[in-house]
Parts: sequence; structure tokens; C-alpha cells
Amino acid sequence: MRVPRDPLLRAWGALIGLSLGSTLLSLAPVPAGLSTVAGALFLGLAWLKARVILGRYLGLHAAPFWHRGFGISLAGFCLLLLALYLTA
Amino acid sequence: MSDTSDTSVFDELPGDLMIWVLIVSELLVFGAGLAAFLAVRITDPGGFAVAQDALYRSGAGLNTVVLVTSGALAALALRLREGARRGAARVALIGAAALGVVFLVIKGAEYAGKATEGIGWDTHPFFTFYYLLTGFHAAHVVAGVIVLLLVAWRDAPRNIEAGAAFWHMVDLVWVLLFPVIYLLR
Repeated sequence: MRVPRDPLLRAWGALIGLSLGSTLLSLAPVPAGLSTVAGALFLGLAWLKARVILGRYLGLHAAPFWHRGFGISLAGFCLLLLALYLTA
Repeated sequence: MSDTSDTSVFDELPGDLMIWVLIVSELLVFGAGLAAFLAVRITDPGGFAVAQDALYRSGAGLNTVVLVTSGALAALALRLREGARRGAARVALIGAAALGVVFLVIKGAEYAGKATEGIGWDTHPFFTFYYLLTGFHAAHVVAGVIVLLLVAWRDAPRNIEAGAAFWHMVDLVWVLLFPVIYLLR
């Protein structure tokens, strides 16, 4: 399969793939003891989607300082959410 | 001799600084809501899991696809306008707004389904957060649709850039809200 050259089209394709991936993952039963992995996967996919939106839709790919800053902040936030999820 | 070093790191940000202030503010508000949701879940994880099973995950997944596609059209509209293709940019913006309406129709069907099942905001703390966070987000979608139509009418590139950035913020909030409310169990 050819990868489109247009960065916007590539970003859209990545977002569709990541969205379908997380939805399909949610439909599969999660075996007991694997909730940590499942939680990390869901939040990791969300972080990736957020990175794509920030980078290609909002144009932060042209501002590496801010792209990195938003990426690190969102990663910290997703880790906080994961910690709260695993505390239950 | 002119001073060319008078630049700030804020100058690197694409678009207007104020739209970034808005984006960060909205992320903080929704982020606090999502963290509060998971903190309250600690008190009753079983009840939250049972309540979450009443949601339509595939419908919310479809809505994610709708919203990210709408976001792509909004981003495309800015590129088209900057390339002086005003008509095509307007079509892309109207398409983005139409997909926003599709999102709201799917969300409305979800709310109607819950009402039919007798589920309200006070049924369980899960649903209090569910209605609060998804309802507040849906209000932003309504505002975003209006903004997209406004910038399709008043289509200066600067307007389209600000309108599209608002729409991407709505998109960004949804991709964080979706896994926390619908998927983590």
C-alpha cells in the first residue's frame, strides 16, 4: 500500500487508524491482570492522536519547541490519568 | 543599526497567540474534569464499569472518525485559502461544519438512547461526569460549527486560521475524552 505524500493526508490516515485501533481494542475482552496494559494502550493511542493533531492540524510541526513542550505536558497528563486509573 | 534579535519564542507559534491561550485554557478545564472523573472512580470502580457498559463504544469511535475527518477538512481549508482557492476553501469549511453536525446527531442519538433507558445525570456519579464532560464538549462543537460557517463567510486567511484552530482544539479535547469516558474500564 502506498503512503500518501501529502502530510495532511498522512496525518488524517494516521488519526483514522489510531481511532479505529482504540475502538477495536475496546471491543475485545481484556483478561484479568492485563488492565494496566490496556489502560496504557488506550492512553498511549490518545497521546499519539493528540500529537498528530497538534503537529499537523494545528501546525506545531513548524515550531519544534512548542511541539515538544505540548508533547511532554500531554504525556505527563496521560501518566497522571493512568495512575488514577490503576489506583482504583 | 537595526536590532533583529527582538524575537520571542511565542513568535514560533502558528496563528494568533490568544487562540493558543484559549487552547491551553480549554485543555486545563477538560483535563481537570477528566482527572476528577478518574479520581471519583477510585471510590466505586465496579459501579463505574457497569455504568460504562451502557455506553455505545462503537458510536463514540465513529464520532472520533467523524471529528478527525472534519479537522482534516478545516486544515485543508486554510491551505486552500492561502493558495488563493477561495471557493474550494469555503467548500472544505462547510464540509467540516457539516461533519460537526453529524457528530452532534450521533451524540444526540446517544443521549436519546440513554433517556429511553431511564438513565439520567443523577443515575450514578459516572453519568454525572459523562453528561457534564460530553455535554460541555458538545456545546463546544455547536460553537465550532458556527465559527466554521462564520469564517467560511468572512474568509480572510487569518479568520480561517483562528476558526480552524478552535475546531482543532475541539478535536484535541475529544481524543483525550474518548478513551477516559468510553474505553478505560
